[in-house]
Amino acid sequence: MSKGRNALLGIGGLGGLVVAMVVMLADQPDATQASAGEHVLVITQADGDQGLLAPFAHRRNGLGYLYTSYVFDSLVGQDAHGKVAPALAESWQELDGGLAYDIRLRQNAQWHDGVPVTAADVAFTFSYLSSHPYPFATVEGIASVTVISDTQIHLTLKQRDASFLSHTLMALPILPEHVYADQARPERFTGLDAATGSGPYSLISYDKVQGRYLLQRNRDYYDGAPRYEQLALVRMAPDRAIEAMRADEVDIVSDLPMDRVEYAKKQGLNVVTALGNHPVRLVFNSGGSLSDRNLRRGIAYGIDRQALVKIVHRGDAVIAETGYLQRGSPWFSVQSHPRNYAYDPEEAAVLFETSGWQSDDGVWQAGGRPVQLRLITDKRHAQMATVIADQLERLGIGIALRVLERGALQERIASGDYDLRLSSSSAMGDPNGLRDRVLGDNWRSDRYADHQGDIGAVLDAQARALDAVERKAILARFQTLYAEELPAYMLTNPYLATAYSNRVHPYYLPDGVAIGIPLALPKSVFLASPPLAGQ
Amino acid sequence: MAFRASEAGHRKGDWRWWAALIALLSAVTFAGLFTSEPYRTSTDVLMPPSTQHWLGTNAVGQDVWTGLLLAAPNTVVIAFTSAFLALAIAVFFAMASAVGVPLVRAGILRTVDMFQTIPAILFLLLVAAWVQPGMLGIVLIIGLSAWQDDVRVIRAAVLRESTRENVQYVRHQGGSWLYCAIHHLIPAVWPLLVSLYLQATRHAVMKTAGLAFLGLTDPRLLTWGGMMQGAMDHLYGDAWRWLLVPPAVCLAMFLYLVLSLGKIAERQSMARSSVGP
Repeated sequence: MSKGRNALLGIGGLGGLVVAMVVMLADQPDATQASAGEHVLVITQADGDQGLLAPFAHRRNGLGYLYTSYVFDSLVGQDAHGKVAPALAESWQELDGGLAYDIRLRQNAQWHDGVPVTAADVAFTFSYLSSHPYPFATVEGIASVTVISDTQIHLTLKQRDASFLSHTLMALPILPEHVYADQARPERFTGLDAATGSGPYSLISYDKVQGRYLLQRNRDYYDGAPRYEQLALVRMAPDRAIEAMRADEVDIVSDLPMDRVEYAKKQGLNVVTALGNHPVRLVFNSGGSLSDRNLRRGIAYGIDRQALVKIVHRGDAVIAETGYLQRGSPWFSVQSHPRNYAYDPEEAAVLFETSGWQSDDGVWQAGGRPVQLRLITDKRHAQMATVIADQLERLGIGIALRVLERGALQERIASGDYDLRLSSSSAMGDPNGLRDRVLGDNWRSDRYADHQGDIGAVLDAQARALDAVERKAILARFQTLYAEELPAYMLTNPYLATAYSNRVHPYYLPDGVAIGIPLALPKSVFLASPPLAGQ
Repeated sequence: MAFRASEAGHRKGDWRWWAALIALLSAVTFAGLFTSEPYRTSTDVLMPPSTQHWLGTNAVGQDVWTGLLLAAPNTVVIAFTSAFLALAIAVFFAMASAVGVPLVRAGILRTVDMFQTIPAILFLLLVAAWVQPGMLGIVLIIGLSAWQDDVRVIRAAVLRESTRENVQYVRHQGGSWLYCAIHHLIPAVWPLLVSLYLQATRHAVMKTAGLAFLGLTDPRLLTWGGMMQGAMDHLYGDAWRWLLVPPAVCLAMFLYLVLSLGKIAERQSMARSSVGP
């Protein structure tokens, strides 16, 4: 009897413990609650943890980079229009026709721990990054670094680099020598001190599980104390974030889905939209089964992109430009597109026949067997993939569609085990990134088999063209070649939206933030006075 | 005598029920084969029900009514067969572990433990990395990944039943365990099997929908479960009314049919055992 009662008590106690734990978990302090104080700006996004906000620890994506840029400044920044502007470098001078630079640093820049930022830190950064490569920019082009004084540094380059300022110096975070000098494996350096930067905000807490960051304003920031006392970067699904913003708990929903824009506006929220210039593209396995460009062109003619815009994006997108760069990019050329691949099934049929496919009762055959193409994608583009598969099957091409987890997708791409795949990446930022995006072997890139070497040659040439007009002309040639050769077929360019409260005014930059990030959160949004372009 | 007559009548009536239910099920299953409407994407996205689209259209402009008809054969065949497979494996192992020698019992139960601890999703991901299954493959995968939870439940019932006099009597008379299983144990645990089967069917329907998201199957493989999963993105608007409700109703009706068939089968087996040979 007493045994039974003990057991009963035990169960009751266990139940009580569970209830207490649930209550405790539910009672966890919520970063959104902090916004009740007027100094904290709460920013939400739905994506998960971005890693510690330090150059070698953040996740290798645009959002991780962007958040880290609030903590780490580069030599060169962007003004409120996205143009090159002074940051840690107060001014610079181009010498020897672009083969050398004299850079003068700010007198009053400090690391978050109070140590002054000096030319020695800059020199250290370049030498450190040459042995610990940074994924978003490389120092390979730098031949020598000479420290002239605490605030002056002289750089020489191996060859002219049109994007040295607008890409290399803008993308590279400057590291504190006194923190990083002893770090042989920076990717394992994940204490909060790894996030000692010189940016407008310092990281004061980071919750990896929740993907939450609390950033404190750097009062000694060289451009004046930033506008907001604290930034809370919080993971939250957009629907919940909209409701939280109505309750005045959130200030920026940085990834408002376009189909919620009307609803958000009805709720009295401010919304800014812009073309994302982050087009969805159909990448062809140009090194394998679709090495014949006429097949690629035929498939392009067989896809009705207007229908994709209407069905997949409900009209909240435009048909993408086929030369990789999109309208809005300063390097975009209208005249450079001989082929816009307007939907034309008859043209598609002609091209398929040119490549040796035969149509048998509406079904395309190659070598006597029905054509069956493997289309792979991730969950994000599943709907787009379904519509494309449907369109191509209507054209008479069999499609085997697979929606894969990221790991499996990367493996399939690496092994070339596909014919078509859907991908999306930024078409913004300095054109220096194009080489990697088109010819690189990254799983997101086109991995184009450039047998002729044409595209590679043009991309090399534009990298050496210091004159903007000349560079634009060469990039026009690139766009023509891209549209002709079709490493990938640009499908749609969706709009993006950000909702915001009256306490802040986020804006999209025409060519994206730094490396081309399509978010309305450049760090100038949080500064008291955004930097001015020029030197 | 009167008792026997009424049971016999019941039995006859049951056969009519059987026929009617199976006819209905086949009709539902194969109606899709006779629809001429292609299941195409169109720019008529998320249209509410109208004369043109009886049950409206989904997020990529496909007609929901056509989808329901085309999804029926896949859903019914996959659910029926994979649930049957899972249950057959479970019954076999439950019987073997209930009546087998200690070594067999321990072997089976430890295997079950192992399968219960390792999440089925790992197994599915592993399979996904190696094969791209067709219809039969999907049935096998679902069947083979869903039997372990039922073994202990059935085993407990079988253990209880095996101590009854009828079973003990048959054993004394030299009846084999196989004979006992077929004539005594399975009929005795039949209601349990029906409910487990129903549960397995329901799981199979939803699992098929999930397979597409593991990259195992073409996401265009139409099933009611898949249609319901697709509808989940539209809970915030009105569209769930024509995207979620129709496949959910179909699924509910299908499960009800399965349940009815199970009940009839149960009544028949009871009638048979009470009428005697």
